[in-house]
This record gives sequence, C-alpha cells and structure tokens, in this order.
Amino acid sequence: YDFTDCNFAKIEEEYQNVIFLALKEYMNGIKSTQFNHTVYCGDRPSCLTEIERLTFKSSQCLSLAKKIVTATNATLNSHCPGHSGIQINNTQAMKKRKKREVTTNKCLKQVSNLIELWRYFSRSQ
Amino acid sequence: GESGYAQNGDFEDAELDDYSFSCYSQLEVDGPQHLLSCAFEDPDVNSTNLEFEICEGLLEVKCLNFSKLQETYFIKTKKFLLIGDSTICVKLGGKHITCQKLNIVKRVKPEAPFDVKVIYREEANEFVVTFNTSHLQKKYVKDLLHEVVYRLEKNENDWMHVNISSTKLTLLQRKLQPNAMYEIKVRSIPNTNYFEGFWSEWSPSSHFRTPENNSGKMD
Amino acid sequence: GTRINTCTCVLEALNSTCYGSCSRGSTNRETAFRPNEGDSSCPEYILEDGHTVGCVLQAEGDGILSFSIRRGTRPLLAKSQWISSYRKSRPPWRLDLPVAEEAVTVTCSELPHKSLLYEIQYKSTFDPEWQAEEGRSCNVSIPGLDPDKCYFFRARARTMEAAYGPDTYPSDWSEVAHQQRGRRRDSCQEQRLFPRFVLISGAVAFLTV
Repeated sequence: YDFTDCNFAKIEEEYQNVIFLALKEYMNGIKSTQFNHTVYCGDRPSCLTEIERLTFKSSQCLSLAKKIVTATNATLNSHCPGHSGIQINNTQAMKKRKKREVTTNKCLKQVSNLIELWRYFSRSQ
Repeated sequence: GESGYAQNGDFEDAELDDYSFSCYSQLEVDGPQHLLSCAFEDPDVNSTNLEFEICEGLLEVKCLNFSKLQETYFIKTKKFLLIGDSTICVKLGGKHITCQKLNIVKRVKPEAPFDVKVIYREEANEFVVTFNTSHLQKKYVKDLLHEVVYRLEKNENDWMHVNISSTKLTLLQRKLQPNAMYEIKVRSIPNTNYFEGFWSEWSPSSHFRTPENNSGKMD
Repeated sequence: GTRINTCTCVLEALNSTCYGSCSRGSTNRETAFRPNEGDSSCPEYILEDGHTVGCVLQAEGDGILSFSIRRGTRPLLAKSQWISSYRKSRPPWRLDLPVAEEAVTVTCSELPHKSLLYEIQYKSTFDPEWQAEEGRSCNVSIPGLDPDKCYFFRARARTMEAAYGPDTYPSDWSEVAHQQRGRRRDSCQEQRLFPRFVLISGAVAFLTV
C-alpha cells in the first residue's frame, strides 16, 4: 500500500493524542533510547510503511498491546484512502494469547523502534 | 458529525416520541476509566424499557450497553479507543429506535476547577487568584482554557470575565472598588485541536473583600 | 563497564554535532569512539583533566547515528540512536512584547523545526519567582499584567515528547527583555524600595545638615 495520499495532519493528531500514550504505556517507563534503533524512515509515507510493518506484520508482540494495534488500524483506515488494514480478532482469541505472552525484551526493542518511527513521522514537515 | 437516523421497518406504525438525545464524555474521570453520559433532550420522554447502546470506536468489544441512573444513561469504561466515530442507539425491546454517530473526543466536558483562592499582595497593589484542576494530572485532556469571572456581590449580573490557560491570575487593586465584597468562580473547556467539547460546571465560588485604601482582608 | 550517560546533540539548522560524553569511571583509560560505520576513529575527542570523556561526532540531518566505544580492540558499547532523541535547540531570539488591554502578547522568532513548545517566563519586580506560560507557537498572551509595573520576560524552546522523546534538552533562555508602560526598558529597577528609600534618606540628610 502506498501511503503517499494519506491525511498526514489527521494521523499526526491522532498519534500525538492517543497512539503515543498507548506506546508509552506499553514501554512502562523504559526509555526507547535504551535500545538500538535499527529501523529508519526518511519521509512520512515510508514511515507509515514501516509503522504498518512493525505494528501488523510482526505483531507477535503487539497482540499484547491491543490498544496500539487497534488505534493504528483505526487511524490508517480513516485517513489513508483505500487502506483496509487488518481485522481485529475477537476477544476470546485475544484473551487466550494474552496469558501466554510476557513483554519480552525482544518486544520492547520492537516497540521502541516503532516509537522512533512515529516520532520521526510526527516531527517531519 | 451528527446524523440521527431511525431504524425503519418495525416501528413505522408506532407514534414516535422525540427520542433525540445528547451526550458528553469525561475522560480519566476515575483513574483510567472514562465516563460517557447521555440523556434525552425532551425531559418528558417516557424512558421506561428504553436502553442505550454504543458500537464502534471501542477496544476489544464491538458494542457496550449503558447503565441507567434516574433519567441519565451512562457508561464507565476503559474501552473507548478515542479515535474515530462511535454509533449510539436508543433501543426498545432490542430494536433500534434512533441512532446517532458521534466522536467521544469532541464531546468532552472537563471536571470543574476547585480550590479557588485570592491573596492580596499589598506591596504590589494586586490580588493573586489561584485555583486547581484535576486535569493537570491527566494524560489525555491536559490543556484547558479557564474562564475566571468575578463581580461585586451586590451587582447581580455584572460579571467581569478573563480567559486564561494557566491556573493563576492577578487582578489590579485599582480596577476594583475599595472596601467591597467580591465573588469569584472559574470554569474550564478543552483547549486543543483534538479534544473539544463543553464548558465544565462552575467551581465553588470564593469571596474576597478589597481594602478601604491600603490594607486588605481575605474573607 | 563504560556507560554513555549523556549525549548532547546540539542541532543547528544545517549540521548536527553530537557530543558523546562517558561516565566519569572511564577517565583514566583511553577510549575510542567509532562514528557511523567503518573503523574511522573519533574526529574530535572531548578531554577533561587530560582524560577522554567524550567525542564530537558529526552527523547530517535527522537520522540514526551508530557509534561504539572500544578499549583497544575490545568493544565496550555499541549504540545506534536517532540523533533527535538528544536534541537541544538554539534559543529563540527577537522577543517582541506588544501590549493590548492589560495583556502582553510575547512573540519571538520561531525555530525552523516542528513540534516545539515555547515557554515564556515573566515576573514583575514584586514577584519572587518567574511565572510561566507555554504555547505551541511563540505567540503567547499573558493577561492581567499591570502596565505601571516593570516586567522581565524571557523565552526558551523545548521539544514535544511525542515527536522527540524524553531525553532532549530545553534550549538556553533567550536574552531577558524588560517592559514598563508599553515601552521597552534596558532593565527593571527594584521599584519596591524606591519610594520608602527616598523618604528615609531625605530624613537622614535633613538631620545631618
């Protein structure tokens, strides 16, 4: 999906007021600078491409952070023409998976890279 | 946006009362719990057996049912996604009578400010007004605009107004009448592009007396 | 081991200079910073009391900077960080203080970066401490000021956490501007003492003649 035609201002607003707090809540006081940043994006469309990949395509960690997945899905679907996003699974499946997973260091590193992508998206013109 | 639409078909014959309703939200009103309250515009609507339901814009669930307290329907939950619209419907016997699309973050009614204090600073010939708001500790609706109003107690409707974004204001002594009792109170409204909504209730009033000429007393 | 506890990146509009400094524990051993890829050693070490405590790493624009600290060939630490996570902006300048109906609107030159917050501090000669207002643009209105009093104003910029993270540094303060009765002043005298001081000194002069 090509994110060039998205309404970046609206996405930025929803990121700064909602998604950012969900990401921060997930990190639970651990700073993203404690991890190495290995995922780069250079402009807003490419940032959204990487954000979508990290959020939905390798979401073994993020099924724990339902708010991040659901909110990101909602904002991309609302403000990117033709973006259909993912079907948020029903509650039972989510609950079962939640019990098995623990916020592993690998997941913290993934979310910290996701945070940095969103930050770059937010501060780029 | 708001567009009310009725469920057609089953209710065509029944004489439809005016079931239009309005709602407001209070975020993080009880720890991380949000509150959404709705009530019929027409207070005379017979609300027995009428239920409210919200769908979309929710986390992990598709819909939630409201609870009812007297004539107000409310939901207290952490499951508001706070992104995008939700649909709120009035139901009778499980059937939708009327529905409205609304965005919870655009209907925020802040909690009232409190602890209004007025301190006279004789050397500076001014009164320093301070007050508190629970929104300073919140994550979502942190930025508010506050309306401070004050009046001579004996002048019923002659309120002076000042809008500020901080919780401190100075009133110049020479702008007030000497040896007079004043009433002062504050209310708040969301002050961001994202969270919008309505004025809060007024804070409890505070009263202060201006000095005759050069000495002042707080009441 | 050695731990980088602060990396102050002062980002000018054109180029980025990142000062990496190490914790004091590593002062008596020579440490080598390896900026970006490859093995090029640190172009400019920061020395303190003759010990290496940091390195000035040049980096372009807003990107990820990779660097490592080694003792000889043994790597102690390897880091890849977005430079802007440690941003410190230049201070705003050109404070302007137009007055309208007892409200002073403080404006200043805005910096060419997004997602900054401008903190305005002000006080009169009667205020023991600075009072603060903040805005997303350097155009902040302060109501309820007394035109007769002399006020101090200053401004600085800081980054929004959502856009830069929690490890950035507020800019230095701008120069202090003074204003009274709608006109700029070079300074604010201590108004409070003046009336009584004259009275007392007048009496003393009278007594000693």
